[in-house]
Amino acid sequence: MNWLPGNSARDLTVLGLLLVVAPLPVLGSTYYEGVLAHFVIFAMLAVALNIVFGETDQLFLFMGGLAGIGAYGTALLTDWLGVTAWLTLPVAALFAGLVGLSVSWISAKRKFTVVLISILTLNLQFVISEVLVGAREYTGGSTGFSYQYFSMDAIAETVGVNETLVLYYLMVLLLLALLVGYIALVHSRYGVAFNAIRQDELAAASIGVDVVHYKVFAGFLSAFTFGVIGAFYALEAGYVLPSAFSFQTVDVLVLIILIVGGLRTTLGPVVGAGIIVAIEEMLGSTFTNWRTAIFGALLIIIFLYFRSGVIPAVDSLRSGRFGRRFGGAEEEPEDEPAD
Amino acid sequence: MVAIDTLIAVAVDGLAFGVFLALLGVGITLVYGLGDVLNLAIGAFSVLAVIFTTALIEQGFGLVVAMVAGLLGVALLGLAVDRTLLSLVYRSEGEERILLGIFTTLGLTIFIDGTMTNFYPSRYNLPVDTGVFSLGGVGVTGGSLVIIAVGLVAIGVVFAFLRGTFIGKATRTVFQDERGARLVGVNPRGIRTLIFVLSVTVAGLAGLVFAIGSNVSVASGFEFTVLALIVSIVGGVRSLTGAVAAGVFLGVVNEFANFFVGSYVATIILFGTAIVVLVAKPEVIS
Repeated sequence: MNWLPGNSARDLTVLGLLLVVAPLPVLGSTYYEGVLAHFVIFAMLAVALNIVFGETDQLFLFMGGLAGIGAYGTALLTDWLGVTAWLTLPVAALFAGLVGLSVSWISAKRKFTVVLISILTLNLQFVISEVLVGAREYTGGSTGFSYQYFSMDAIAETVGVNETLVLYYLMVLLLLALLVGYIALVHSRYGVAFNAIRQDELAAASIGVDVVHYKVFAGFLSAFTFGVIGAFYALEAGYVLPSAFSFQTVDVLVLIILIVGGLRTTLGPVVGAGIIVAIEEMLGSTFTNWRTAIFGALLIIIFLYFRSGVIPAVDSLRSGRFGRRFGGAEEEPEDEPAD
Repeated sequence: MVAIDTLIAVAVDGLAFGVFLALLGVGITLVYGLGDVLNLAIGAFSVLAVIFTTALIEQGFGLVVAMVAGLLGVALLGLAVDRTLLSLVYRSEGEERILLGIFTTLGLTIFIDGTMTNFYPSRYNLPVDTGVFSLGGVGVTGGSLVIIAVGLVAIGVVFAFLRGTFIGKATRTVFQDERGARLVGVNPRGIRTLIFVLSVTVAGLAGLVFAIGSNVSVASGFEFTVLALIVSIVGGVRSLTGAVAAGVFLGVVNEFANFFVGSYVATIILFGTAIVVLVAKPEVIS
């Protein structure tokens, strides 16, 4: 991975190794393997939000809905066409991507502010939730259905581990691929354009940056990713319910994760997801009733006092040793641009 | 063919729902117009008013006393929220303040919901026995009439306050031009506190009228907030008269859609209207 800038290759290798050995201490416990898979899935969702919100200031608050399109779309297409879910997943994700593309296109064309985009997508989120509950004959309504696609028992039997573990390692691969993609993206001409648009849209347009194109690209990419992750999210749960894709379940959590970890950082989404999932586990069964209240309080506190996030905070403590890859918007790029 | 008196009964129920929506819309519009804070916790205050009131009724208090005390409790809570959380939000300016306001009030509503579910897990309504009235030979639900009457009086009071009193005029000055208001000696922060307390009280009243004949649970809070948001989008988020008109219009449309095509499509029509307005006229939120 020589083409990756700075120390990214080393960081990703360390992260990859950590994620690979993480299940070893809890091997055999389906519960903890599930927790780990859950952690990786939310880290991926936060990476996707980081592209569209972090890089291009388009706050998508229908992440749950897009993930739902991916999950339900894959299931319905598989049942309807009778082919493997591996073929229908890209189609369903493409549909989610097109929804994101349309929203970004309208928003960019009509010069929507970040607030308008958030309110528009929030409304779309509720429409999607409503459709998932209401279109009972297709989605099973609020009772849902058991999600048994992507049969991995063959792989599981060959390797001699359970299916949860196979799914977990698949998720880890996907997360690492997403992170590599993110690093490549922000160091390409797209990253430069994102920076320019974020700092001053008018100035960027005046020097020939096609603002609409870049925003729509980011919107499509993130929405497509949400769609893909959605199917695996349902697969991990083993059961699909409209409430699993609601605003309160997905969007609030992913937003907290991304802000806690640090906007526009490579490892922020992973660290944020780690912290949030760890808090969830520490609350355990005793305080599980207080989970919602605690996340509400957390949302208030991080937005009022801690908007820079963990990774930038750690980075400023150790500044000089690491390059821009952890940096926030204020920092100047120190690395040589990637080719 | 649907009988005329059935249509009238549906229209009356629609008006009642519309008045409830108008109250929510007024609540969210007042605060946004004055200080750029989109109060996503507004529905939580409606639910709190219902919970306080039903708890007091269980303690043996009379209905009216309990309602007034419930509203007072919500007003005090609103005052506390304004003095603490919103003071922090008002420190920032422009678009950053709008975003910060959205996330802080969103966090607040999740916090209130998460806390209250632990203590009040069931569904609550007000024990108002209204029955069915005959209105020129047409049977309409009494609850709807009570909601329309109470709501219209409340909206009238808010408008009279803004039009007629000195503080009300000062409020409208801040609405129109904050710097101009400062120049003539109006303290915008004081006005904002007053209006926030007023808005959560109106939201509380909306919750109370809704609880006449319908069940309210903690989870209803966020649904109310979303309804308030739709009303303010359709009516223009800075326009009080717009909020009232949009509330009544959407209420009637929703009730007829409910009657003819079912509640699931009716809800989608509500959201669809908001999305169409947002895309066609994005300047409603600015």
